[in-house]
Amino acid sequence: MLLSLALVALQADAPASAHAPFAIKATKALTCAQEGTRVYDRAVCLVRDGHIERIGRAADVEIPEGYEVVDVGERWIMPGLIDLHSHVGAGAQTGLSNDFTDNVYLANPGFRISSAAIPGNPLLRTGLAGGVTTVLFIPGSISNMGGWGVLMKTGFDDWESSLVRDPGSLKVAQSGNPERWTTGVSRTFMNWNTRLTLKKGIAYAEAWQRFEAGEGPEPDVDVQWEYFRQLVGKETQISVHTQVYQVVLMTLTMLRAELGFDIYLDHGTVGGWKLGAMAQELGVPAIAGPRTFDTPATGHRFAAGNTEPGFYPVHSGYRANGLELVGFNTDSPIVPQEELSVQAAVGARYGLDDSDMSVLRGVTIIPAIAAGIDDRLGSLEEGKEADILVVTGHIADPREYVERVFLSGRSVYDISEDKRLW
Amino acid sequence: MVRRWIAAGWLVAVAASCAAPSGERSASSAGSDLTIEAAGVAPLGPEPVALQCARVLTVDDEDRIFSPGTLLLRDGRIEYVGAAIETPPGYREIDHRDGWAFPGMVDLHTHIHTGGWGGSNGYLGDDHPILRPVNPELSTQSSLRPSNPLVRLACAGGVTTVFGIPGSGIVMSGFGVLYKTKTNATFEEAVLASPGGLKVAQTHNPERYRAATGDLGSTRAGMSWTLEDLNDRAVAALEQGRFDPALENLKKVHSGELPVLIHCAGAQGVANTVRMWKGAYDTRCVVSHGSFTGYRVADWAAEQGVPVNHGPRTLDYFSSRLGEIVPSSRIYAEAGENFSLNTDSPIFPSEELFLQGTTTARQGVDSYAALRALTIHPARSFGIDDRVGSLEVGKDADVVISTGSLLDPREHVELVVIDGSVQYAREKDGQWF
Repeated sequence: MLLSLALVALQADAPASAHAPFAIKATKALTCAQEGTRVYDRAVCLVRDGHIERIGRAADVEIPEGYEVVDVGERWIMPGLIDLHSHVGAGAQTGLSNDFTDNVYLANPGFRISSAAIPGNPLLRTGLAGGVTTVLFIPGSISNMGGWGVLMKTGFDDWESSLVRDPGSLKVAQSGNPERWTTGVSRTFMNWNTRLTLKKGIAYAEAWQRFEAGEGPEPDVDVQWEYFRQLVGKETQISVHTQVYQVVLMTLTMLRAELGFDIYLDHGTVGGWKLGAMAQELGVPAIAGPRTFDTPATGHRFAAGNTEPGFYPVHSGYRANGLELVGFNTDSPIVPQEELSVQAAVGARYGLDDSDMSVLRGVTIIPAIAAGIDDRLGSLEEGKEADILVVTGHIADPREYVERVFLSGRSVYDISEDKRLW
Repeated sequence: MVRRWIAAGWLVAVAASCAAPSGERSASSAGSDLTIEAAGVAPLGPEPVALQCARVLTVDDEDRIFSPGTLLLRDGRIEYVGAAIETPPGYREIDHRDGWAFPGMVDLHTHIHTGGWGGSNGYLGDDHPILRPVNPELSTQSSLRPSNPLVRLACAGGVTTVFGIPGSGIVMSGFGVLYKTKTNATFEEAVLASPGGLKVAQTHNPERYRAATGDLGSTRAGMSWTLEDLNDRAVAALEQGRFDPALENLKKVHSGELPVLIHCAGAQGVANTVRMWKGAYDTRCVVSHGSFTGYRVADWAAEQGVPVNHGPRTLDYFSSRLGEIVPSSRIYAEAGENFSLNTDSPIFPSEELFLQGTTTARQGVDSYAALRALTIHPARSFGIDDRVGSLEVGKDADVVISTGSLLDPREHVELVVIDGSVQYAREKDGQWF
């Protein structure tokens, strides 16, 4: 171990530039690919121009001349983790809800959280030290429609490098919070109002689609609805704060089946896992958390009368009901950003079978698929952005930890020379 | 059905501990058809048991590991531990041939003996009154609710022996009880030693409750004087052979009969604790917490022969103001002997004691060494290593069987045996934790 640390130290400042190609040699590469090879032993990963040029067994991948070699010895490499439910993009100084959650109206389709983001803030940086390289920074759930989230990387100080996609998602809170902060609305009213708002957005987007197809007049630009053009055009998704059986049911039937949006269940807890089969049929992933199990709290308001008191694992529950795409989130700072890997550990503890790497895919490629960024991120595959963790072992075991992080091919965290943050 | 009983079992435990007088094991007071049997707890019995395991980690002096291994348990004690043998006739075989066996874990710093019930003192319930700065006559014995819901969860997490102590709102809050986390037990069946030792809080809390102590309790100097004054009186009573009803237990601390666990933190707090309780009075003292910058005197405390019981913080971030993780757990572990870990439950849940070992291992401490900090080290620190803390012939039959390493949260506890009887069996009871 000391030897490999020394090796890392020797190489520490080698590939500082995104432009100098380099090769990482590791004892194991966990690609976390959804299809294809998931593990390479004695692996080599070539990185060029911030992207993965090749990855495979050392015997199969020749290191071209001019590539600097970063030999991480006994360490493993894996893709950076992705958290699709994060509220720490603005740092901590503005408190939990200020600056990213307004509840002026029950639905706020024009709000954009990108205006609040502080790239490289200390909470994001600690998340980076925990291996989280990309987050979906989203508004809170005190209104039914908090606005548009932004997908951003955690390890850069500048906006241009950090930005993955804006809009990252439309944040909808189906129920289970807005009623606490507003004027005592019921689920019936909230669902009516959410549907009405979404239909206005669809109408706006479709007017532009008709114009662009030469079939209609040019509509007036309305910033209130502008991002709906990307949403209806399937360039972004709705991330839906939803939990409790009947609320998740409304999410699936209204947002997906009736209105046709690309969506994923966010939280999805407290009995939502019972709808795993329907979610699978409709092609809706569940990025579940921060609760990883439904608690045995008798009489708790979340018991909702449809689940008998007991202990129900969420992630393995979705799986058992037939849903393939099951991932994890932190809802940071509810669970700290850096503890996404611990969420995966608890999923494993309560029955999520890891023999096909489901546990690690649940924090990498599966959230990438849910957010429609799997062509860029989420696995170590050729052509993807080089967001690579150097880890001491399986990071769902908290005895293991992140030693180094490459982000877009740049070394952004290295405990051999930076302060260890987690 | 398995799931249904979990809450039902809790109800039974709560009802039993509320209504049943001490010494009477009865759940009928729940007023329903809920019974102890319905709760899935195996009845106690003299039946000898053979545990067949994939691996037995003894945590003994030789660090023996048997793969596969067998444990024979008879009359509440370990009769055999070693390489796998066939189950002898007359022994009930419990087959965990894919499980790992560990000694039950020991937590020297817990506050769950009330089950979170009773009294008006916040969540600690009956834990301790805040009236006078020093209370050598008090004990948690009167507050202990054996097998309460929090204790049962601790058991399901693999913790089998705990020191249930009063809080740190005052300088000397009284004596604690060493008891086992049996899931269905009377006071007599649960308690290992009462009193099990003394609890002292050497700053870092009493000053916050100074209403009870006046100006004297608002400074370290005042609190130290208060303790020394009391200790001097106890030592004098001991030397003079004088009976003093308020000081009888404290005399046992100064005669070496009972250990003392001292809540302290920060470099100056740990140093002051070692100077007073080891240097001046030469007691069997254990530093508890040792948080914040306490690690800076880790080597010195070790030289003085004072073991450290670290937690619930296992690392320092903000006190040192270095802008990075300070691996205090590793620093203590490497400094001296018998380093142990605690939860300060319910600050950290009792059932998460193993995670303290996990975070210690994360700092670079070998997993087996971290396991010792959860088992034999705390037992040795408190002089109960003849009874608990390792799997050795003649010791109490307190055994935990897990699906893998106790330190890996992806694994879970399958079976807990205390004093030779099954307290928790996941297969039958459902997974509590």
